[in-house]
Amino acid sequence: MGRSTISSDSIDQMRKGTTTLAILKLLVDADEPMHGYRMIQELEDRSEGIFAFNEGLIYPRLHQMEHDGLLNSRWEGEPGTRRRKVYVVTDRGRRQLEAEMEQWETFRRGMRLLLGLEAA
Amino acid sequence: MTIDDVLERIRTQMNLEAETEYELLEEIRCHLDEAAADARVRGLDEDQALAQAAARFGVEEVGRELQATHEGWGTLEGIAAAALPVLFALLMRWLVFAPDGTFVGWQEMVGRPAFWAVAVIALLVPLWRFPRRRYALIGWTIFWGLSVIVIVGGAVRW
Repeated sequence: MGRSTISSDSIDQMRKGTTTLAILKLLVDADEPMHGYRMIQELEDRSEGIFAFNEGLIYPRLHQMEHDGLLNSRWEGEPGTRRRKVYVVTDRGRRQLEAEMEQWETFRRGMRLLLGLEAA
Repeated sequence: MTIDDVLERIRTQMNLEAETEYELLEEIRCHLDEAAADARVRGLDEDQALAQAAARFGVEEVGRELQATHEGWGTLEGIAAAALPVLFALLMRWLVFAPDGTFVGWQEMVGRPAFWAVAVIALLVPLWRFPRRRYALIGWTIFWGLSVIVIVGGAVRW
């Protein structure tokens, strides 16, 4: 039997709610600046292909996160060469990640209990 | 089709400050460059590689999303950039005039740490707040201009 997948609508809904969390976790785990294209690749690898990201939509999310103070960005590379905009997590971003991970874990456990997949 | 053609399709979905659009498109150019290069490594020719990179990127939708995300930021920054120098100039005026309205004198004024603290903070706050340094520098210049007007023109009383 093949591995179950999730419908594209469901993925889209989850993407909107979870991309911020996924980006924060990825950058904190990596502990180094990353540009958008590499983030997409890493996120797809992490999800083992279950989540196929609409690549371009990571940029509005990154910019909103930077605007909200969760990320900082800078351009790498000399003018005239290929330049990349890379992102790092701020202290506020790390605090938000901790809070959201806790909420996510509570939600996950609640759903497992609700569906009878885990004993209380 | 070239990368510039793809970027132009995205650009037509946006109506932002020229500098903001330029930065957004440069970031996207880098992404498409890398995605197309990876596709070529997987055996696609130049055109196919770019077409695949553009399709995976989601050109029109991203243009609309970027517009929605960035819309209004410039206006808010403009209001803040205009308000900060005024606020700091008022603070400076409050520092250099005694409660009865007498001017404390230049020597005493420049000897006060609070004077220099306000001057430095008036530069640091916009530098920290605005992504573009020139906003901060222009704001700082306006702050000094206003400060000189309200201090030197001691007749100005609010």
